[in-house]
Amino acid sequence: MSVDFLLEIFDRQRDRDAIVWRDEICSYGRLLELVERLRDEIDVAEHTAVSLEADFSPTSVAAMLVLIERRCTIVPLTSSVDAKKSDFRRIAQVETIVEITADDEVIVRESGIEVAAPHRIALELRKRGNPGLVLFSSGSTGESKAAVHDFAPLLDKFKVPRHSKRAITFLLFDHIGGVNTLFYTLSNAGCIVTVGDRSPDTVCRTIARFGVQTLPTSPTFLNLLLLSEAAGRHDLSSLELITYGTEVMPETTLARIHKIFPDVRLLQTYGLSEVGILRSKSRSSDSLWVKVGGEDFETRVVDGMLEVKARSAMLGYLNAPSPFTEDGWFKTGDAVEVDGEYIRILGRKSEIINVGGEKVYPVEIEDVLQMMDGVEDVAVTGAPNPITGQMVKARVKLVGEESVRDFKKRMHAFCRGRLDRFKIPQKVVLSDEAMHGGRFKKMRGE
Amino acid sequence: MSDQRNEAQEIVGLNELIIECVNDVREQNDIAPGADISPDARLFGREGMFESLALVNLITSLEEAIEDKFDVAISLADERAMSQNRSPYRTIAALAEYAAELIAEQR
Repeated sequence: MSVDFLLEIFDRQRDRDAIVWRDEICSYGRLLELVERLRDEIDVAEHTAVSLEADFSPTSVAAMLVLIERRCTIVPLTSSVDAKKSDFRRIAQVETIVEITADDEVIVRESGIEVAAPHRIALELRKRGNPGLVLFSSGSTGESKAAVHDFAPLLDKFKVPRHSKRAITFLLFDHIGGVNTLFYTLSNAGCIVTVGDRSPDTVCRTIARFGVQTLPTSPTFLNLLLLSEAAGRHDLSSLELITYGTEVMPETTLARIHKIFPDVRLLQTYGLSEVGILRSKSRSSDSLWVKVGGEDFETRVVDGMLEVKARSAMLGYLNAPSPFTEDGWFKTGDAVEVDGEYIRILGRKSEIINVGGEKVYPVEIEDVLQMMDGVEDVAVTGAPNPITGQMVKARVKLVGEESVRDFKKRMHAFCRGRLDRFKIPQKVVLSDEAMHGGRFKKMRGE
Repeated sequence: MSDQRNEAQEIVGLNELIIECVNDVREQNDIAPGADISPDARLFGREGMFESLALVNLITSLEEAIEDKFDVAISLADERAMSQNRSPYRTIAALAEYAAELIAEQR
């Protein structure tokens, strides 16, 4: 069975810390007991589609393992998608809901969703006799798509032993990065350290208290970390590795993080719900150039866009046509620059702004504006303009009060020499709202 | 006060507002300040002082200034502006007249 290798590791490491939850330690021995208990409590048939509505906790991890054993198709859902939960259950044809409450108790109930005919991908998993995993794309642009993976080959990748680390589960339970952190850590008998909230101070306090070595996070969070100056208030000497992904890293953010953590390795990760997480290697801790691939992936760049072919990509979307080319390449939609074996990610194709024929990547502009005094956060998008096709629009959150006119004057003076003239935002909107959601990823749409 | 006089005053006010914005944009875009700007100064097109990017900057600044001063949101750059018989961007006065028309409609 696909999780046997994990359970064997747990059994050999009974005394080691497996999960820190609410500042309490759960050992691998305790986690095994939970798995045994939940085998009885979660009474679902093989190949049932089950939503696992939870955040990281001992019980949610045990429940996931039990559902994999049962060859279920698992749909992890966190509170960050509360508003869409009923839609997601319907799209994923969820039959049974397994909810892990805030007190780490299990509630199992029927969804009441009538499934007229199982999706062809569900039938394929049944035929293979394998468990499935459904991940919804964040849908920051357009509708969320439900990517279905065969869970068995996904888990096989973790059979190769790697370093055993204490890692924070910063990325969410229903995200490919969160799932990756979980299984990477468990398969090496490391320890996942959960956090109640993802504010810079909570994260730093948790790192200090539990000797966390790895922080897998996003550029948006690292920006907040810098702004909050939380790193100075806690002893973060246990930290060895910060990984960042899910969005483009602004150059100055990376430089500043490297400056305050000179001994921490900074690694860019690259993964997608559709193909999984590629292995990656940054040229150096202060470099945005990264090599991506690994034994399970091939990559190529076509017309400046990255394409990936995975040995075990998703089986398909439940609610959209297959995005793969006939020979299995996935068009990532990420525009990249190439330098030998290394690439540099510039931005999403869908987010490129075209000002009178000139290309503008939002992150380059955000990076510069972020350096201005009094700028707390900024999100850059294109806005239609009949004269130049599109114009650059910046939504800016300021620390203090300032009129748009005064800010624009300051912005022009600041950007001169730093940005080409067509890249300086023609339109500025001041806003009081945060520019990111619960996933600590920049939300450029309003 | 009659509506007509009201409108005439508004256009004078708009001329001044546009001149303020024009000066901002000239400063921001390193366009050498010419002689004093009059309402007849040519903005865009033949002998205009601005190319397209500076014009976009002027228009967004003016929209913001109008919203600030008159509390109405208008769009000075859209299909309608582009399809006018005579371009509203040819002179400061023409732009003021077009803006006044849109403001009146919003009220």
